[in-house]
Amino acid sequence: MLMNIRDLAIGYQGRPILPPLTLTVAPGELWAVIGPNGAGKSTFLRTILGLQPPLAGAIERGDGAIGYVPQRSEIDPAVPQRVIDLVRMGVERGWRVLDPLAARRNPAVQVAMRDTDVTALARTQWRRLSEGQKQRALLAQALAGEPKLLVLDEPTSAMDMHAEAGIFAVLERLRMERQLGIVVISHHLALLARYATHVLLLDKDERLALVGDRQTVLRHPAFMERYGQVLDRGGRHD
Amino acid sequence: MTDLTGFWASWELFRDAALAGTFAGAILGALGVYVLIRRMVFLSAALSQAASLGVAAAFWAQIQGAPPWLATPTLGALGGTLLATALAGIPDRASRRDGLLGAIYLVGAAGTLAIGTKIVQEVQDIESLLFGSGVAVLPEDFHTIAWLALALGVIQLWLHRGLLHVSLDRDGARVQRLPVRFLDLVLVLSLAAAVSVSTRLLGALPVFAFMVLPALAALDLAQNPTQALLLSALLGAAAGLGGYWLAYAASLPVGAAQTLVAALLVAITRAGRALADRALAWRAHQQHDRLQHNAHEHGPDCGHEAVAHDDHLDYLVDGHLHHPHDGHCDDHGHQ
Repeated sequence: MLMNIRDLAIGYQGRPILPPLTLTVAPGELWAVIGPNGAGKSTFLRTILGLQPPLAGAIERGDGAIGYVPQRSEIDPAVPQRVIDLVRMGVERGWRVLDPLAARRNPAVQVAMRDTDVTALARTQWRRLSEGQKQRALLAQALAGEPKLLVLDEPTSAMDMHAEAGIFAVLERLRMERQLGIVVISHHLALLARYATHVLLLDKDERLALVGDRQTVLRHPAFMERYGQVLDRGGRHD
Repeated sequence: MTDLTGFWASWELFRDAALAGTFAGAILGALGVYVLIRRMVFLSAALSQAASLGVAAAFWAQIQGAPPWLATPTLGALGGTLLATALAGIPDRASRRDGLLGAIYLVGAAGTLAIGTKIVQEVQDIESLLFGSGVAVLPEDFHTIAWLALALGVIQLWLHRGLLHVSLDRDGARVQRLPVRFLDLVLVLSLAAAVSVSTRLLGALPVFAFMVLPALAALDLAQNPTQALLLSALLGAAAGLGGYWLAYAASLPVGAAQTLVAALLVAITRAGRALADRALAWRAHQQHDRLQHNAHEHGPDCGHEAVAHDDHLDYLVDGHLHHPHDGHCDDHGHQ
């Protein structure tokens, strides 16, 4: 078990925005978090990452670190950063950050860059990367901390379909090779339907939270009603 | 040149003041990188004004009979800075406290002016509080800034990775369980100490300038944030020292001269960066054209106009005559 979530209520100022959520993320599972804009997906992500307090319920973390991949727009392009600098930041954990040379010595940096195919871009500035390269650099940063659970916030937004498919292929490979647990918010239903093992469908307006393995959720009337036609058309919704 | 020679000939007179300006420029320059990354430029302006109000209040308290050991200008500056920091907090990139920071800045500036008129002229000139004089530095003040520069330098060597991480990616730092509050506190105290001691020596204007301009130039030049810290410290030191020389050569107030030198450094680096970017874009464009052209085969249906040229046929591409033969393509110049 990487994360056990029981009766979790998320929201703001004491007001829950969704029904209580219960789910367990195990190694090798890819959880797709889907739902319309403003459905509560990011609030869910921030809560399980510990960036926002839960209103009720419990989040039990298993052993091992969590790797967080934020949206690419969170990185300020005005600040000079090469890919290697970004990835080294992923190594720092807890008070180990007080050792100024820890990141330089850590072999996980090179392994993470190799696994995400950004080794050749190590000296390239962030602002000069394509969207797909940026996403792979952020993935490398998260992997440098050798996490057991990877949490990604819309990794393929504003990406062309080719780059999008490339990112999901990397995630799939990491899931299989490292037995990573992955929780990912994405708008690309076709890719999620192909790669996800489990799905969490959220809709704040309808007070809906559908949790389960892929087949169960994809066949559920509430899912079909919302996304059945979208899946038939090729899978992208906004 | 004569001015430079004269400046060095009088070095003994200026030494402590010029070195104090250099140290202040270096430490404020380095801390300015965090200020810009966290987008809290307005906080640094508010802090420097609050510090100058603290200095003015200390002089006024001395005139009113407060014990000199208590109402020292440096303690006054520290008090003003800490009070302003406590009121404003250290904003991260996500938070916006512009209104509150504006209020602190305005109270600081107006308060300094108001109290300044109550301070007798021979004790302290109000202009120097606001815009910096820095001509004469007491030995104890010089020692204070020198030790502070050393202490902050050691702290930066030790903690810069954590301080940068929290400044660049606060959420990531929290997920990775970095000691975010401890690192915030270190930054707050470093800023408070640097601003208060420097404002006492130089005045509010150059302190604000040193926290913004060297970092702006350094972020243009550096390859990564760590390099930016070092570069910004060097540029800040250069502006601090260069400002003294400019003030001597052009008979300018020291604070204004230091600010102008720092601004000049920004102008130079911005121009250099723009040129470098243009050169890179041009090179990429050339490479792109070459690749596109290599992949293209000219022929009757290639889409380019065929033009007779001497004994062969060229194709017109962007005003240039391209001549394909023997597996490659020559540029025969403009049509």
